[in-house]
Amino acid sequence: MYEFVSGPLVWIAFIVFIGGSLYRIYNMLSSSKKEKVVFPHMSLKHSVASLIHWTIPFNNQYMRQRPIFTIISFAFHICLIIAPIFLLAHVILWDESWNMSWLTIPDAVTDGMTIMVIIGCIFFLYRRLTDPVVQNVTDSSDYLLLAITALPFITGFIAYHQLFAYKAILIIHILAGEIMLIAIPFTRLSHMLFFVFTRAYFGSEQGHVKNSKDW
Amino acid sequence: MKPTIVKRDLVVDTALDQCAAKLTPEQIEKVVNEVIDNETGGRLQTYVNTCIHCGLCAEACQWYLSHDKDVSYAPVTKVKDTIWVLLEKKGKVDGAFIKRCSEIAHTECNVCRRCGMYCPFGIDIAYMMLVVRRICAKLEMVPLYLQDTVHSHAATMNQMWVKPDEWIDTLQWQEEEGQGYVPSARLPLEKEGAEIMYSVIGPEPKFLAQLLGNITVIMKVAGLDWTMPATAGWDNSNMAMYSGDFEIMARVERLHHETAQRLKVKKIVMGECGHAFRGAEYDGPTWMGWMKPPIPIVHAISFYYDLIKSGRIKIAKKAEGPITVQDPCNVVRNAGLGTQLRYIMNAVCEEFVDVTPNGRHNYCCNAGGGVINVGPPWKKKRVQGNRVKAEQMKRTGAHTIVTPCHNCHSGIEDIVDYYKLGMHVKFFSDILIEAMEIPEHLKPKEE
Amino acid sequence: MLKIESWDWESKEKMLADTAKWKDKFEDVWEPYISPDGEKIASIVKVGEGEFNIAVNEGTWEEPFEKIWYSRFSPDSRLTALITKDMEWTMAVDGKPWEQMYEYIWDTKFSDDGKVIAATTKLDSVYGITVNEKTLECPVNLESIASYAISSDGKTLAAIAQTLPLGQADLDGFLKGTWSVVVNGKPWKDNFVDIYGLAISNDGKNVAAEYRAAICEYGIVVNGKPWNEKFGCTWEPVFHPNNSNEITTPVRQAGQWFLATNGRIVWDKGFVSLLYQTYSPDGNNIAATVAPQFAKWTVAVNGQPWAATFNECLLQPCFSPDGRKVAVIAKDSGKWLLVVDGTVLGEGYDNIWQPVFSPGGDKVICKVEKNGKYAVAVNGKICGNTYEALWNPVVSPDGTRVMICGVEDGKYYRKVVPLSDI
Repeated sequence: MYEFVSGPLVWIAFIVFIGGSLYRIYNMLSSSKKEKVVFPHMSLKHSVASLIHWTIPFNNQYMRQRPIFTIISFAFHICLIIAPIFLLAHVILWDESWNMSWLTIPDAVTDGMTIMVIIGCIFFLYRRLTDPVVQNVTDSSDYLLLAITALPFITGFIAYHQLFAYKAILIIHILAGEIMLIAIPFTRLSHMLFFVFTRAYFGSEQGHVKNSKDW
Repeated sequence: MKPTIVKRDLVVDTALDQCAAKLTPEQIEKVVNEVIDNETGGRLQTYVNTCIHCGLCAEACQWYLSHDKDVSYAPVTKVKDTIWVLLEKKGKVDGAFIKRCSEIAHTECNVCRRCGMYCPFGIDIAYMMLVVRRICAKLEMVPLYLQDTVHSHAATMNQMWVKPDEWIDTLQWQEEEGQGYVPSARLPLEKEGAEIMYSVIGPEPKFLAQLLGNITVIMKVAGLDWTMPATAGWDNSNMAMYSGDFEIMARVERLHHETAQRLKVKKIVMGECGHAFRGAEYDGPTWMGWMKPPIPIVHAISFYYDLIKSGRIKIAKKAEGPITVQDPCNVVRNAGLGTQLRYIMNAVCEEFVDVTPNGRHNYCCNAGGGVINVGPPWKKKRVQGNRVKAEQMKRTGAHTIVTPCHNCHSGIEDIVDYYKLGMHVKFFSDILIEAMEIPEHLKPKEE
Repeated sequence: MLKIESWDWESKEKMLADTAKWKDKFEDVWEPYISPDGEKIASIVKVGEGEFNIAVNEGTWEEPFEKIWYSRFSPDSRLTALITKDMEWTMAVDGKPWEQMYEYIWDTKFSDDGKVIAATTKLDSVYGITVNEKTLECPVNLESIASYAISSDGKTLAAIAQTLPLGQADLDGFLKGTWSVVVNGKPWKDNFVDIYGLAISNDGKNVAAEYRAAICEYGIVVNGKPWNEKFGCTWEPVFHPNNSNEITTPVRQAGQWFLATNGRIVWDKGFVSLLYQTYSPDGNNIAATVAPQFAKWTVAVNGQPWAATFNECLLQPCFSPDGRKVAVIAKDSGKWLLVVDGTVLGEGYDNIWQPVFSPGGDKVICKVEKNGKYAVAVNGKICGNTYEALWNPVVSPDGTRVMICGVEDGKYYRKVVPLSDI
């Protein structure tokens, strides 16, 4: 089982993730051409300006209005991306299989980051359950996406601390990671891919076409 | 997903009510899919697929805030209750649903684009509401008075059923009014090769003719070479853009720009209106295949900014007491004129009091986006839907609100009235005409 | 037709009026107009409080009026203007007002020979087209006239008119149709939702227009009979110059514009935009302003777009007399350009007026503006003097000379220059 999930399934997951992502982006770009104004309205300068502006915390009205949300959501997204990439155990796996390695972050830090991701998931779950606006637009898919996101981190945390059933948890952890990778291109987790594009377009339209700003 | 709980007072709009009863499911399905397949593309799909249902857009909307955070007014709810369903069911919905779509898109959203600035992804919810309006328009599901206004555009190429002779006659009358201030003032009609074509919106000749007298004086004092057309094409407003009848929108905008081309002017200067600027600068040209208008269009704010800054118009006596301003969404948030607006306000007011939030973050007046044009049946809802504006204005302690936009002007007047704010609402040119210096040689000779 | 041959093509230069003197003589002087033959220049002038006149060359009209506007010369060089007397309006021709007075009068138009002078009039709250002082009788009271067209010979006058009253916010009434076309006083049998883009064939026999069939449905109607083909949108129809049964129109289908003749799409390629379809003089070729892509404008001749595109806009293309060349005014990055067969000629200007070809087609002549001065440009290059005011140059019928009329230092000159010299 372990061999399967850590061998061929990893391949499949990464192929689906990368291939699927490329396909989704290609599909989005080509279907955007149907609307003749989209590309002529784009501007690199305003796209970059928008992206930089929106990736700095507290740089917008709503971020300042909602400090807790801002801190948690920034921390969540940063940790979500950084922790798995620079986790020592993951880099070792890459090194063993591909002879590739890169900088790692001390385990204590990645551990903290994992906790941060889990806190983020709990926070988002709490919002989904309590904020009337969010509640009103929440359906099962939103909970499922939250679960897909949380699971690799929860299991990773348990596995790292070897709290119980290490082998089984490890397999579930790998599986959960793979599910998440596969889900990214084909669910609304694809906001990870499209963020750059939607921001770039709105930034361009507000800045380049409408001579204003999108923040 | 559970349906949204919607509590609304009953509004009778005969056009919507009658049309909803007539619609067949086949008709609806055909039009929905036609619009989605032929008129939208990756942008709409990406917006829908990227929305992570976070609800952050809610805080941006004056409807939501003014209704004590009633979820049914949140921008994301408006998307959920319209386009999500239309896409998911591939247009298999009934007349009642389309009627609700029209109510949401035409009467509960000003397509002011404030929510776009609150979305972490920059999802342009107003664009999606315009797609909904487009579907509604093709199904004739447009509120009565808005549709009537669009018919006026279609038949007369102006917003107010103004006939060609009434237009010219009004200009000639207002030329005389202007001559009361400055005897040598002239409102030059059909002057080919002038530097500027001045264009206005339909309500000016119909209800606010003094604004045409004002501009006659201002142009003379500034010594500018200008003209106005004596043909259709004089009206820069465009409610077809807001009903979703884009063919009529394009016809109106095309005529407006071609009139400027025919008169061989260097630029069009337009009166104080926001949506008209949007239509003439952006939506109209985009539909026509122009990146920008073929003859540049200058909004009144920029025009007055240039005149005051360059000293072509000097201020003799600033307006007294605290005066505040309303930022029209379509020229501030969506055209970047907020700084220029503040410059001219400071130039003509002794005590300019700014609003909070201001500039491109300001709240919409709730009249824009065609919402005031849906007419009397919907007025109460519109005014109640902008309590935050009333509170914001009250906080300034000003006696007068300057609104460099016709929709804002009427919308803010209604708000002042309903919430008993006791403030005056004026156009910038009303203040300017009183404040500016009329050079000695232009003044009427003492008898 | 107008007898251009009979104009003075011999006098090299005539100074016909010193308009600078007008400014001393009158309280206010409006922008000048010239007669088509260039012999007269006229301006509306203010002669006193509520008193206006028209200065023509060295003189004025005999009688001043309370108000004067829309001074226009007819093709046979008579000066018309719209005037008020005792708060009523009428047309004055060479200073003599029509006997009939109106509540309002506007939109003066002429037949090609100038013998017919027409205008829209309003009398006792009824609208009409008035031709040489006589209002065309119409069996119904017209509620409004949006616009009208006159045939070359002046015998056919067609107006887009509202033939039925419409109540406030009466959507059903509107969609049943309140607009029609009134040809020489006779309304078409049926009403339509809207009518646009009125055209009269060169022989004056047929009248065509766009009509709106439903909210987003448009078609072409000829002599009151709508075609079966309907489109998402249309622009104004144009008649073949020699065949009044052939009508060409831009039509929109599935978000693209196509060119259609008699309702059938004839150019297989669709465009983002398609405007100003223009026939060559013999009718064998059609050019149109097109945008193959968003904000990339060019001319397509018989469906084939030029390679060069321009990023702002294009005006109406025009053919050389032999129909082989096409010229157009284009705007690119803020400058106006003269483009012939896809090649920019000369430099960019602040403004360019509609060009004319020399009879041989080798020279394209137009009025241009640069730094507030006007000049005649040949193949895009300025030739000769600059002027404070200038009118479109006219090529003589034999193609050997060009008449250039302009104002220099306040003096109005009419010059005739051999085409070979410029």
